[in-house]
Amino acid sequence: MASRNDGSKPHVKIRDILTEETGGKSYKAHKYSLDTTERPTIDYGNNQIVWKKTAETTKHTKYIDLSRLCKIITQQNDQILSYFLDGSRRVFKVDDRAYYDGSRSMIFPIIAGQIGVGCCRRVDKRMVPEKFKREIVLSMPDIANAGGKPGFFQATTKKINECKELKKIGVEFSAILPYRTSKNEEMKFEDKATACVQDKMIECEKELVAELVREGKLNQDNYLIKDGSLEYRPTQKDKKDKKSYQTFKNNYSWVLGASKNFNPEVCLDVNGKPNPGFIADLPLYHRTPVSCYENPDYLGDVQFAVWYIRLRDQHRTRSPFDGILKIEKILVTDEEVSEGMNSELVDTLSTYLINERNPVCYGSDLRWANHIYPIYLTESFVKSRYLSADSFLHLF
Amino acid sequence: MNKLIGRVLATEKAPTTMDKFNFWTDANLQLHAFDIVKVEHIDKSFTFGVIENISHITDAQSFLTNFISCDFGDVEIDEPTLRIGMNYAEAKVSFNSNNLYTPVHNNAKVYLASAEEITMALGLDKIQNPLVCGSLKMYEGTKDEVTLPVKLNSKFILGPEGAHLNISGISGLASKTSYAIFLMKAIQDQYLSMTNSDDSVAFVIFNVKGCDLMAIDRENDFVQDMPNAKEETLFEYKNLGLSPEPFKNVKYFIPYYDSNSAKQSTYLPKSDIARYMEDGQLKKYKYVYSSDKESIEMMFSNIDDPAQTMESIISKIIDEDDPDFKGLSTWADFIDKVTENSQKGSGQKGSNDISVLSWRKFKRIVRKAIQDEMFANRVVPERNECRLADELKKIGKNDVVVIDIAKLPEDKQAFVFGDAVRTIYNLKLGEYDAETDVAPPSRIIVFIDELNKYASKDVPHSP
Repeated sequence: MASRNDGSKPHVKIRDILTEETGGKSYKAHKYSLDTTERPTIDYGNNQIVWKKTAETTKHTKYIDLSRLCKIITQQNDQILSYFLDGSRRVFKVDDRAYYDGSRSMIFPIIAGQIGVGCCRRVDKRMVPEKFKREIVLSMPDIANAGGKPGFFQATTKKINECKELKKIGVEFSAILPYRTSKNEEMKFEDKATACVQDKMIECEKELVAELVREGKLNQDNYLIKDGSLEYRPTQKDKKDKKSYQTFKNNYSWVLGASKNFNPEVCLDVNGKPNPGFIADLPLYHRTPVSCYENPDYLGDVQFAVWYIRLRDQHRTRSPFDGILKIEKILVTDEEVSEGMNSELVDTLSTYLINERNPVCYGSDLRWANHIYPIYLTESFVKSRYLSADSFLHLF
Repeated sequence: MNKLIGRVLATEKAPTTMDKFNFWTDANLQLHAFDIVKVEHIDKSFTFGVIENISHITDAQSFLTNFISCDFGDVEIDEPTLRIGMNYAEAKVSFNSNNLYTPVHNNAKVYLASAEEITMALGLDKIQNPLVCGSLKMYEGTKDEVTLPVKLNSKFILGPEGAHLNISGISGLASKTSYAIFLMKAIQDQYLSMTNSDDSVAFVIFNVKGCDLMAIDRENDFVQDMPNAKEETLFEYKNLGLSPEPFKNVKYFIPYYDSNSAKQSTYLPKSDIARYMEDGQLKKYKYVYSSDKESIEMMFSNIDDPAQTMESIISKIIDEDDPDFKGLSTWADFIDKVTENSQKGSGQKGSNDISVLSWRKFKRIVRKAIQDEMFANRVVPERNECRLADELKKIGKNDVVVIDIAKLPEDKQAFVFGDAVRTIYNLKLGEYDAETDVAPPSRIIVFIDELNKYASKDVPHSP
């Protein structure tokens, strides 16, 4: 067994440290990235979200035409969408490790993840980096902690970070995230581990939003557009403390979530039946009425205003859902929860978002029809800060 | 402190090499072709590069991307976010401070260079026998603009390593002649300041058009220029180490014409002629038969003479013992004699075997050529008249002789030019050393504008 103190081996791999700390047998499996290329998808499948009444002050039942407002706002040449946030992660399977559970040994994947969350600000039509957080994490089976001692994974993380090779290249692991190995869930271990990394990424995103709010950067003239859904699950800690729970919600007063992929089945018609056609037929530069949805099991009492806008002509795109952006906003104040969002504000925000349709990232990203350029740039910025896959995998 | 402007780019497909590298800069940074940049390199050395090309790229994958970005071809669309773009410049390595030509590294810092560094990078600090030949502007139009004098080895244009200078460019921009004059001015400045040197120089300038070169000893009045042009120009001259004064020791020579005749032989206004004469700067040149008959051959420079009959005639004319032509003293006598020879039945004395037809051809050409007041019987020095060859003989250190041939017809221009150059040639060969007042400078610069009009178009053929 290789040891950190083994002077004859100049390059100590993290795999060797893990062997020393957690035991088990490494199979030195093929190391590879678990990420696939991002491509436009429709997110089918069950969704526990409950689609409720309209959530805006004017009770619209039809599409709302925003093309005139688009022109007016273009001429005004001002901007309220100032900050753009994107989080992303890269997960790699770095090892297969066998742990003996008393009667037989089982083999588990070890997953390493690079998490990057970045925020860019738009100044005079140019994007400048505002904040960036990078975390490198490991996800291991919970039974790697043989003694079941609390703090074991933190201690292991610390030991890993003492490795000279890591220090030399300035890389530090921020945590080891254990995934459950109980067999009661029908989920692959790799997916469970990936989910842990994903959760960590969401935590980072939330922290970044909280930082922006603390610094007083977000207000009615400076909205933050976050790439993807805002369906954050409040943590136990959030829920326990009423004040911090409200703070969490308040952080999102000036934040909009813009999703490129969404489940059109969620949209219900007046009879409560899914009506994806309502979204698919959305005319150019129109928006749908705002609905409210909630998911008490998952999201607690957080309610969302949700609407869709069409950025690109259906004739120009490959599928009817290409060119449609799903917008979410957390309903923060009591007034918003009871009355819904101000329709005028929804129109204005939608118009600004429609005006974001140009420039496009056609050719660089298959999701160009749904992508908005500042988010695309933020995403590129975050991705540019990753360690290259080769050098990252070489650490293990 | 040098200004940091970008970083070196080295990729798989576009590596840095020992003589080239690319670097990125801000899209709005102003750089120009031939600007010099400085790059941090190994062993605390610096590599300098000359900018050869600048490109602007964006993240748009194709032209189509940009077209789609305008709502599929709406020219009115303005984008709320500018497409991300950057400039990258291609530079050629010119110099490394430690003589290291290892390719510069990826992400190395790229700076603007200072005046001293540019001088070093271009090797201008190691020029021997420096002669100011112009100035160089780097980072033009920015607040980091650098102007520095450029010097060349004067031996390259004043011999022995080189003896002629070509200046080419677009016509009509007032730059080729101006530059030639600038260079001569720099040379005169330099030689005027050299007190204890055996090396000396003089200039012979032919004015071939207008009266452009007929006022080179006068100060520019800048009347037709921008308001601050005078101050700026004088400032630049000072920075180059040149005096802001015009040429010194200038003498003008114009073809002779009678003051009473309506026809003028120069474009120079009468008032200027009078003023120059008052200052003793201007003389009218004449050609006198007895002294200048040897130059008659210059009138035939453009005439085909395959059988060399013209040459035979000229030899006969300049032959002191020739029975026909000895003792003639005026152009009229000469023409009479030529006429006589070209008449039928002449030549019976057996003095030559030149045909009458050749004499007629000769007469035709010569008579036309000498129909000008400058072909005269005698020179009157009191009226500021002279023989050009006599004056050229006396050319001295730092003298500038301007010979006006602008208004002469082409054949006479060739005649005057040929005569003057032959005189200079003979002067340099020491033919007039025995005469008084002859002290030729060690170098004589001949400037002939529009040389392509006068130079031979014959291409030497290899055997």
